[in-house]
Amino acid sequence: MDREIGVGRTSPSMVRRSASLLWRWGAGGGKSSLHSHLRWAGFFFVLPALIHLVIFKFYPMLQAFRLSFFRYDLMSPPVFTGLENYKLLWENPLFHQSFWVSVKYMFGVSIPEWFFALGLALLLNRRMPGRAVIRLAYFFPIAMSQIVVAMVWKFMYHPFGLVNTILETFGIGRINWLSMEESALPALIAIGIWRGIPLFGVIYLAGLQAIPKEYHEAAVIDGAGVFQRFFYVTIPLLLPTIMFVMVLSLLSAVKVFLNPLVMTEGGPNGTTRVLPYFIYETGFAFFRMGEAAAASMVLFVFLFGLTLIQLRLLRRGGVE
Amino acid sequence: MSRKTMLRLGGALISVLTVGGVIVMLLPYFWMVSSSIKTGIEVFDLPIKWIPDEIQWVNYPNALTKGAFGVYFYNSFVVAFAVMAGNLVFCTLAGYGLAKFRFPHRELCFRLILSTLMLPLEIVLVPTFLVVRELGLVNTYGGLIAPLAVDAFGVFLMRQSIRDIPDSLIEAARMDGCSEFGIFWRIILPNCKPALGALALLAFRDNWDQFLWPFIVATTDDLKTFPLGLAQMEGIDSAAYHEIMALAVLGMIPAAFIFLFFQRAFVRGITLTGLKE
Repeated sequence: MDREIGVGRTSPSMVRRSASLLWRWGAGGGKSSLHSHLRWAGFFFVLPALIHLVIFKFYPMLQAFRLSFFRYDLMSPPVFTGLENYKLLWENPLFHQSFWVSVKYMFGVSIPEWFFALGLALLLNRRMPGRAVIRLAYFFPIAMSQIVVAMVWKFMYHPFGLVNTILETFGIGRINWLSMEESALPALIAIGIWRGIPLFGVIYLAGLQAIPKEYHEAAVIDGAGVFQRFFYVTIPLLLPTIMFVMVLSLLSAVKVFLNPLVMTEGGPNGTTRVLPYFIYETGFAFFRMGEAAAASMVLFVFLFGLTLIQLRLLRRGGVE
Repeated sequence: MSRKTMLRLGGALISVLTVGGVIVMLLPYFWMVSSSIKTGIEVFDLPIKWIPDEIQWVNYPNALTKGAFGVYFYNSFVVAFAVMAGNLVFCTLAGYGLAKFRFPHRELCFRLILSTLMLPLEIVLVPTFLVVRELGLVNTYGGLIAPLAVDAFGVFLMRQSIRDIPDSLIEAARMDGCSEFGIFWRIILPNCKPALGALALLAFRDNWDQFLWPFIVATTDDLKTFPLGLAQMEGIDSAAYHEIMALAVLGMIPAAFIFLFFQRAFVRGITLTGLKE
């Protein structure tokens, strides 16, 4: 093949050819195509992000796994102790308590969110006067900072705060919500729900808007009522969104940390010490890094299992 | 009951629900703003006066002196903008690579990136701290920013929207001799502005808000961010609700500003995630 090689400037076709040669060499042969050089280009675009995630996600994850078999206090060198950390956790009633607090919080927040958020989306999807303003009012809280929310609600739950003032008008006595064992976790759950509804409402709303109008029109022509249309048209078509919301709400609920930290400090009596708080406390307050890593592994397995179940559900949902 | 009255009743019920919902959603914020302009005693006055007789603007300057809040705000802005920039650059590049190129193990790369969604900071907290310590970045801006600079969610967002750009556009540019980076710069970026805007907004909001990581890695006052400063001030002076609320109002402003001005991009960002698959 005779061709001119440009001086000083490489022609695109040349780069393409040489890259394609390189690729064939790298991949051990294969079909040459016009754009095979793009294989490398694509990989290089992805590389920076990949390297970052290897350093700050995958490597730490492996480290967490390794560290969970060591005793380490940040000062003296780590000592291999086998399964000691897991045994310690298993025998630690506070860990058991923490695990169940997390489970309660997670489902306590997520399940109401699924329904309320769907309700909100259905509401906002209707034609009504001032819809834009109403949507704005509902979506505004999504932008709010967690710390602002935590501070406002700590004040709201004060014995003389707004929550008690409102309840008092209904004849319910003043409660010190955050310092009683029975009420602290429900109080935090209520904040979680309140916070999640607009966010998942937006996602549902987008899902609703993606449903072609023709389906509803066809159902109307076939004589379907409001409820029939909801259960036989809206719900099946919304299923991917519903699954997505389920996964996302569970995952975000299990990560809650700020509210228990600044509102209750995990108390009273550990009733709001969720797993991330337990991990933080074990690692950075008691300097038992190995045990904290072991607790992280438990949390990870828990999340992983949950995600697998969700994916399985999602797949089944997609087939039917 | 006739069908018409039932419909009317239903409509009225829905209106009541709608308005009631708005009140539940926004009332805490009204209370926050209202309390921030009262005296420390007035905040507990009954019946509630939403607008006090005398507005206490002085709460704001007073509250700001309860900690190095100038520094905290500055640090929050630095972290939020730096993390936003990191996400814009790396997530967009990766999203482009994943959306428009075929290369070996592309799907594996994508899955690996997505799988990090299951590794939130809460899980890798201890080892991430150890990594940052090994890199000598504890209590530095680098340490605050670096671990947050790429988010799998951003990669996903960008991949989804870049996939929608027609291949023919890219092919045409390639035929005209445009370099790969030129294609990225002149074709891809202008065509995914909405997603870029959404990513920028979400990254800013999440990291303006970042608590857990600065809480672990910022040990001295000069590196603390606003959320840490506010939590710290509340811990010291937990009875000064009027001033805590004043600070909360100030902390709310950047997010509220962004939301009000970029509402559409913001909502789009949230909805772009995972609905197109």
